[in-house]
Amino acid sequence: MRRLVTLILAACALALSGPAGAAEPGAKPFRIYMALWRGWEDAAQGFKDYFANQGIPVELIIRDAGQDKAKLKDFVAEAKALKVDLVFTWGTTVSEEMLGRFDSADPARHITDIPAVFAVVSQPVGGVVPSLSSSERNITGTLYLVPMETQVNLIQSYRPVKRLGMVYNPLERNSQVAAEQLDGIGKATGFEVVALPVDVAEGKPKPASIALKVAEIKAARVDFLYIPPDTFLNINRDILTQAALDHAIPTFAAAENPVVTSKAMFGGVYRYYTVGQLTAYKAEQILVRKIAPKDIPIDAPKRLSVLINMPVVRQIGLFPPMKLMGLAEIIDRTEAKENKP
Amino acid sequence: MILDRTRPLFIRLLLLVVLVLVPPVAWIAHQATGEFSRGLIPEMDKKAEAIGRDLEQSIERAVGYGIPLDQLQGMDQFFAPVLAANPEIRYLAVTDRAGKVLFIEGAERSVLEAVYGGADFAAGTEHSRKLALGGFIDLAQPLAIKGARIGHIHVGMDQDYVGGRLQEILVDLAVVTLGALLVAVEILLFVVTFNITGPMRVVGTVMERVRRGDFSCSAGVTSDDEVGRFVHGFNGAIRLADQLFRRLEAYIDEVKAAHFDAGVVEKVKDIESRVRFLFRFARNGRPEIVNEHQATDIRLPLFLFVFAEEISRSFMPLYIRDLYAPIPGLTPELAMGLPIALFMLVIALASPSASLLANRLGARRVFLIGLVPATIGFVMSALAVTIYDLIAWRAATALGYAFITMACQGYIAQVSQQQTRTQGLGVYVGAVLTASVCGTGIGGVLAERVGFRVTFLVAGALTVITAVLIWRLLDSTQPQAEGPSPRKRDFLRLLRNWRFSALVAFAAIPAKMALTGFLFFLVPLTLSQNPSLDLGDVARMMMAYPVSVVLLSPLVARFADRVGWRVGLVAAGGLLGGAGLVLPAFWDEPVLAVQAAILLLGVSHGLSASPQLAMIPDLCWTECRAIGQTNVLAFLRLAERIGSFAGPLLAAALIPLYGHQGAIVALGWLVLGMAAVFALLSFAYHAGPHIETEWGE
Repeated sequence: MRRLVTLILAACALALSGPAGAAEPGAKPFRIYMALWRGWEDAAQGFKDYFANQGIPVELIIRDAGQDKAKLKDFVAEAKALKVDLVFTWGTTVSEEMLGRFDSADPARHITDIPAVFAVVSQPVGGVVPSLSSSERNITGTLYLVPMETQVNLIQSYRPVKRLGMVYNPLERNSQVAAEQLDGIGKATGFEVVALPVDVAEGKPKPASIALKVAEIKAARVDFLYIPPDTFLNINRDILTQAALDHAIPTFAAAENPVVTSKAMFGGVYRYYTVGQLTAYKAEQILVRKIAPKDIPIDAPKRLSVLINMPVVRQIGLFPPMKLMGLAEIIDRTEAKENKP
Repeated sequence: MILDRTRPLFIRLLLLVVLVLVPPVAWIAHQATGEFSRGLIPEMDKKAEAIGRDLEQSIERAVGYGIPLDQLQGMDQFFAPVLAANPEIRYLAVTDRAGKVLFIEGAERSVLEAVYGGADFAAGTEHSRKLALGGFIDLAQPLAIKGARIGHIHVGMDQDYVGGRLQEILVDLAVVTLGALLVAVEILLFVVTFNITGPMRVVGTVMERVRRGDFSCSAGVTSDDEVGRFVHGFNGAIRLADQLFRRLEAYIDEVKAAHFDAGVVEKVKDIESRVRFLFRFARNGRPEIVNEHQATDIRLPLFLFVFAEEISRSFMPLYIRDLYAPIPGLTPELAMGLPIALFMLVIALASPSASLLANRLGARRVFLIGLVPATIGFVMSALAVTIYDLIAWRAATALGYAFITMACQGYIAQVSQQQTRTQGLGVYVGAVLTASVCGTGIGGVLAERVGFRVTFLVAGALTVITAVLIWRLLDSTQPQAEGPSPRKRDFLRLLRNWRFSALVAFAAIPAKMALTGFLFFLVPLTLSQNPSLDLGDVARMMMAYPVSVVLLSPLVARFADRVGWRVGLVAAGGLLGGAGLVLPAFWDEPVLAVQAAILLLGVSHGLSASPQLAMIPDLCWTECRAIGQTNVLAFLRLAERIGSFAGPLLAAALIPLYGHQGAIVALGWLVLGMAAVFALLSFAYHAGPHIETEWGE
């Protein structure tokens, strides 16, 4: 079925591209190997839609690891065997396992000869690439996290913050980095950061401890709770945001899920869909424009999405300033139901 | 010293043009402003309504999401950009159902509270309404959620705004009219001198020769109008006399050959020699064609070209700023000063060779040659991409500028005899200054309406017109071989004359420094920082300079001729100009201070420019005798360009240290200091032996 869809897609694209396709008799669709971490979501959809919209024929070979690191070795072997034109990797784990870290990529274990694009990697610098300006190898990619300064400015534009709370999973490097960055900015611009790690038992973070940490944060009288782009907290977002709501703590999320599908009050993110499209644009530059991946810088989408979760706002009673209202995407599920019967 | 022979004619034509042009323009302007204000008020209402609706939608959206009207957040930051972008809107406010002011930006809450709180307002309407509120017009639009009125959004318009806008347009119109007047006068002057007074002068010359018994010439006027027919008839009469002589000559020859009586032959020979002594006739029957060139022939082309150059005067630094790209090793300010400084440098470097070339090839050809780089320079400046190519194109224009000004000076020098040379120079200075007034003013208005680049294209078009004029109308003058050009050693000798060196170093150079550094560079940059001034305003303010020079120069020249206090005038002018630049340090109104500084600089140069030149024959009479007065003056011109070149760079170097305003003041102190040195030295000027010797002769 999926195969059929891609074929139809490719056919449509061919038809759309018209004379260009005709000038190149028998133009084969580009074969792209998509390695995903937790199923088909918005970034993958944005990636796919870009090619359809641009009329570029592609054949997508889609593989989902289902959050199982062990499968990634097979993916590398399969991509090599299929001799695909490009590999797309989703997430930090998939990208680092399949493409290798920038200083230890191994042609035997990693994809090195086939060009690759990565998306949704939290900290690519020092991981898969040495710097954002160039990977210095056969890959490029996109950023999906809003720079910490921008996030802090966004929070400050909602309400001036004197004390910022944060709960995080101490086992994830992303979250530790975020806590450090936040602390640094706080020291420079004059606010205090109260960052509490969740409890860990048997090498695993305990979801039950989240509510306790939120209560502790509340006792510290913070103005805002910062929700980092943390996989553990993403999975347990309902527990976290509900706890914050119970204590009437306004929350800011660095990823879209806590706001869009849970009860975080407000967030500043690059939408996954946009990130996917930007990643596809980079793939187009490699495949169609024949630009070497190392010459394509790694960057983030231009447009920042400000998300405001209106039911939560109403419940807490902390209303956003008008300017932010004008910029924001308002999420108001109850109203949406009213408007669209 | 009469600066300009055409001045009386110029003034009469100006009066005529003023009488003919100004009343209809004034009438049309009056009618148009009436229309404009009638049309503007509904437009403003519409705009206020649109803004009100916009704000209304945002507020209703927010309230629709469940935010109570009185708890809307960040309304000041929400209103501020709207107020900043729309100068005609003075305040924005939100009131609740009872007329209580919830949010207000741009006006005092208490002032409006009283009005809105009235019972009349609380009665409420479902439609927008307008009411006059002192100097404001308040447009209130209802805010409603699901059909229920929750309050009003108020947009307060400034009633004075229309008046202000109208005044601005009228001032623009006045500037354009002034420019048009001067252009019209220049063209009239050209038409009159070219078609009437010029031919009449030729006829006068021929008549003078006829009066002295010389029938060998005829006036070289070929036009097919009344003047042409008159000259044709006049020439016919001379030809007739010439033919009559030829017949007489033939008869005398016949008598001499055929008569036997030696006494008769002797008598006839006597008569023949008497006639030959008293009258002169064309040797071979072909008359000598008299054509007289005059300095005014070149006035219109020169005017048009300088006009084209001056058009960019008010915005050149701003244009450079737009194109700015970092130049390694230079601060941004220095890089921005560079195109103006290099423009001056190229003129200085190219002028001597251009002058030589004008002598060798004739003014007409050098003028046409100069128009090529100038036109390319203007057109490509319009299309410039970065500061780098702009510098190249400005250098091309400067090259053309050097060629053309030297060609004009050469032409004037060739056509005017030694006695009328000062008058001829007056034609030159007059054309340049009038063009400066028109160009600066019209350029500013143009740039404001159509942008910098199109304005440069207009300049390019003007140079093309100039080329056509020169091509079609100007006869080529006979290139005159001037005496051998002086060598460098002579100029060094000139510098050893301390009076001359002091004049160059402490009067001429600081004057140019103030002109290019302050007026050409710092004024546009400084004034453009003030948001209430647009380009037209800046240009109008800058016009004070050429206008005051134009008005003052001839008066001062006459005064100086009568009183002979030239050194004093130069010193006073320098001090005044420097004092003007320092003024912003002591005056809280920066715009007024800059305006005063511009005006004082104009007065300063008006005072000192012509005495400076008139001083030269007295100051260095030995050198004038050795290398010629023209060369001494040319050397002065060349030397003072050091100031022109240094001015923008110096000003640019001062900006990072003291800011824009501070750079003006710092430059002012420098100019004032140099002027003070000159003033002190000037007391010693009269004591020297030079002038006594000169007077002794």
